[in-house]
Amino acid sequence: MQEIINNKGKLCEFLKKMIIETLRLEDIIPGDIDNKASLFREGLGLDSIDALELVVAIEKIFNIIIEDEDVGKKAFASINALAVFIQDGYQRALKN
Amino acid sequence: MLWIFTLNFNFLSQIIDDLMEFKHRRVIVTGATKGLGKAIALSFARKGAWVAANYSSDDQSAASTESELASLTKKYLLLKADVTSKDDVDKMIKSVVDQWEYVDILVNNAGIIRDKLLMFLDEDDWDRVIDVNLKGTYLCSRTILKTMIARKFGRIINITSPSAFTGRAGQTNYSASKGGITSFTKSLSKEIARLGITVNAVSPGFISTPMTESLNQDIKCDLLNRISMRRLGQPEDVAEAVLFLASVKAGYITGQVLAVDGGLI
Repeated sequence: MQEIINNKGKLCEFLKKMIIETLRLEDIIPGDIDNKASLFREGLGLDSIDALELVVAIEKIFNIIIEDEDVGKKAFASINALAVFIQDGYQRALKN
Repeated sequence: MLWIFTLNFNFLSQIIDDLMEFKHRRVIVTGATKGLGKAIALSFARKGAWVAANYSSDDQSAASTESELASLTKKYLLLKADVTSKDDVDKMIKSVVDQWEYVDILVNNAGIIRDKLLMFLDEDDWDRVIDVNLKGTYLCSRTILKTMIARKFGRIINITSPSAFTGRAGQTNYSASKGGITSFTKSLSKEIARLGITVNAVSPGFISTPMTESLNQDIKCDLLNRISMRRLGQPEDVAEAVLFLASVKAGYITGQVLAVDGGLI
């Protein structure tokens, strides 16, 4: 997992697969998801309930807790934003 | 002959399945060492569930409940925690998840009364009832959600009261807390229905408990006249309703309040 987290490209691919599997998105493959596009509304079309499932999945897989809605909004802005959030969280955990 | 044997075997197998309906289900019941909570915890244990029984302070009742649970199952936990404290609730649920991996069913039963007319109801009486009844329900539900979302299955059952709907003199604090629980139940059910988690409430009427037994004859008569069935309910009547809402059979029921009150007028 450390290797994936340290490589942003691999991490983005991993996150796309995680989102598709966690939310059981049909007819979508990782290649359909733009790294810069919003995960919500006009982007991938997720909603706040989907976010709940993703919060739980991220905590389980990466051991990173999304504590409040504001943090979640920033983290789930796009695949890129989520990857940066996880890399930052991982670095913070290493320092502690 | 073989046909009859197969038929009987299927019949017996069905009975065993029904008897052990909650086999391997992990349940937390708050306020589980007295009255309704105890009846609910023991009913789950009888049907094969793993039961984590929470209590706040009465070690004597807890010890008695523990011995009853122990006579029914090896899979039980006794958890001393104050449901109004976030730290206590976090620790309690972490302890269950650490030992049992996950929780399927939460019964928010812990509740208190401090009945007084509003004129004499001081701030502490108000805060304490709202904290135990309503905040306790919020804290336990919120903390348990992660484990339920991860498994895409869960049952949350809250205990409300007819007082939430009709009001009752001397119970402004209690009825407000139960009204809050009822609305909480409805709102939360809509948030998490899609995630395989149902949230419902049971509203017990007048149930036979040491408190109702100690009432004087006139009050008892008055009380019975308000019940269409002309008898008090038993804690087990309430437990059965909770078990139904916790069962797989109730999978399409959410955001509802099930009154168990013998037809309260």
